[in-house]
Amino acid sequence: MTTGMERLAAAVKGARSDRIPVFCNLFDQGARELGISSIEEYYSKGENVAEAQLAMQKKYGYDNLWNLFFVGKEAELFGCRKIIFANDGSPNVGEFVIKGYDDIHKLEAPVELESHPQFAECIKCMEILVRENKGEQPIIAYVTASMTLPVILMGMDNWLELLLAGPAEVRDELIAKCCEYVRAHIAYQIKAGADCIVYANPFASTSILPMSMVEELSFPWMEKDIAGFDRGSMVFYCGGAAFNNVIEKVIERLGLLNFYLSPMADIAEGRRIVDGRGLVCGAFDDMKLLHWGREEIRREVKRIIDAGMPGNRFAFGVQGMPLGIPEDNIHYMLEAAFEFGRQDG
Amino acid sequence: MQDISELQKSYFHALCELDEKKTSSLIEGALAGGVKPDELLIKVVIPSIDQMNEELIMGQEINLAQHYLSAKISESIAMKLLDQVQTAGECPGCVVIGTAVGDFHGLGKKIVIACLRAHMFKVIDAGTHVSPEAFVDLAIENNAQVIGISSMMAHTATGPNGALGVRKILRERELEGKIKIMVGGAPFRFDHGLYEHVNADGWGENGLEAVATAKRLIKEVEG
Ligand code: B12
Repeated sequence: MTTGMERLAAAVKGARSDRIPVFCNLFDQGARELGISSIEEYYSKGENVAEAQLAMQKKYGYDNLWNLFFVGKEAELFGCRKIIFANDGSPNVGEFVIKGYDDIHKLEAPVELESHPQFAECIKCMEILVRENKGEQPIIAYVTASMTLPVILMGMDNWLELLLAGPAEVRDELIAKCCEYVRAHIAYQIKAGADCIVYANPFASTSILPMSMVEELSFPWMEKDIAGFDRGSMVFYCGGAAFNNVIEKVIERLGLLNFYLSPMADIAEGRRIVDGRGLVCGAFDDMKLLHWGREEIRREVKRIIDAGMPGNRFAFGVQGMPLGIPEDNIHYMLEAAFEFGRQDG
Repeated sequence: MQDISELQKSYFHALCELDEKKTSSLIEGALAGGVKPDELLIKVVIPSIDQMNEELIMGQEINLAQHYLSAKISESIAMKLLDQVQTAGECPGCVVIGTAVGDFHGLGKKIVIACLRAHMFKVIDAGTHVSPEAFVDLAIENNAQVIGISSMMAHTATGPNGALGVRKILRERELEGKIKIMVGGAPFRFDHGLYEHVNADGWGENGLEAVATAKRLIKEVEG
């Protein structure tokens, strides 16, 4: 049996395997998998998350494991104590630790992650994943970039205002603190055994900021975030926002070669720009899985794979799958991706 | 006196540059020169924000930052001008807007509010994490024709406490002819048919389309 790790290794090299890697990002679904009715309870234990990640990978047969609880977890590391849990979807930051500029001066970057109480369950989860997985599936970690972290610390509106119209020194002080944490986070994930790091930065997309700011502000901070780390295992992602027009600059300035495209992106264009230098992952717009039927799902999977596969170095993926997606639809999508993504025929 | 279409051009340019000082000084200059506030609203402020809308839809390099700041600038200028307008009755209607229960993403809503206000709507900001009951109560209290619900996540958009919950109450209280539901936020932008699945009457891709949808729904209520 070919493992996810083997498929990924082949794809990265531009070699063929039995099929292309297929990534499926299930998070909150883990509670259902373990029969735990409360999502809050589910996320309270690293064991739960690890067990569910392993079980869901086995059940569906896709090629990855996640060491990610939910994005708001990173706000907890910075002191947020109010996460709003729902039982039908993702947890949401319910309180911002930064309420004024003063809080920015007082903010301390959580850099001692291994002794941080709010990180203990993530560590536990990672240890179990590494131990049980035995190198078969790529373990993926999610790292929010320093330009984006302020959103969950102060809210998107306040961050945009500080970014666009506030005092530059306060803005830079905040990003610098976030950057310190990001570097500690990446270092931990690599050391703990992550095979792949998804580096997520919606603020590198020109659908959020003008190109001039992306180039003059986002890029220098991204350079600092990842300086000195191995780029081979990193994947560039903009949280679902489109970014084909910055791919060339990412390769040039950051040396990142692997890209997880937006579901809104033109996949063939993304492939042309990357031009075989790294891996491209085309993403299915998983919001459609909420109510599409089998035929529509198969057609869309085929479209993505047709656009991405020529020349290989391509993987199939999704976004953060909403919990409301019926299990059947997950199966339909994966079954189509396994079928259309075959390389040994 | 300055030609009003020339003024609109310079104002639009300043708005694209997000130059708040310049937009204000252009408007103040025109007021001082004797141009009426309602004329400025109708011929300068609103067409300029609409022009940005068109460029946004055509996919030209207009990004969230510009959309947000330009909407805010337009809102604050429109509010100032509205204060000076003598004749009432220009207001297209009233919209109650907030984010669904469990959703703390307030930026989309802020942009929509700014755009509606720049178009002279009366807007009641219900805040974030708003229950279906609170939406309906506020709408009744303020004689609003439209309830706007913003959500960033799939479960708050499609769950029972979002538009579906508001619909249920409107039906129970036989208010469906008087109050319409419009929705927006990331899930609806990814899936343009989603609004029908949550029993909404309309949706908007961005703040300025929200204005068009609100106008249409208000016509339906009145017509
Ligand atoms: C930036 C971003 C983030 C940032 C900041 C989010 C924020 N705003 O606070 C970060 C990285 C923190 C983030 C985190 C998460 N995100 Co996010 N994120 C995005 C991204 C790239 C853009 C969202 C955004 O802020 N847009 C800007 C705002 C202003 O746009 P908007 O809200 O849509 O509003 C506009 C229109 O929709 C409309 N509108 C809005 N409201 C209304 C109302 C009415 C009545 C009308 C008519 C119109 C209207 O007008 C507005 C102006 O144009 C999207 C993907 C995408 N391309 O959209 C994912 C996305 C929204 N995120 C998503 C998710 C799941 C999350 C998380 C829950 C992930 C997790 N498991 O933890 C977390 C939540 C974190 C938290 N707060 O606790 C999903 C949501 C769908 C889903 N699967 O449920 C998306 C779609 C990505 C995806 N497909 O997976 N995210």
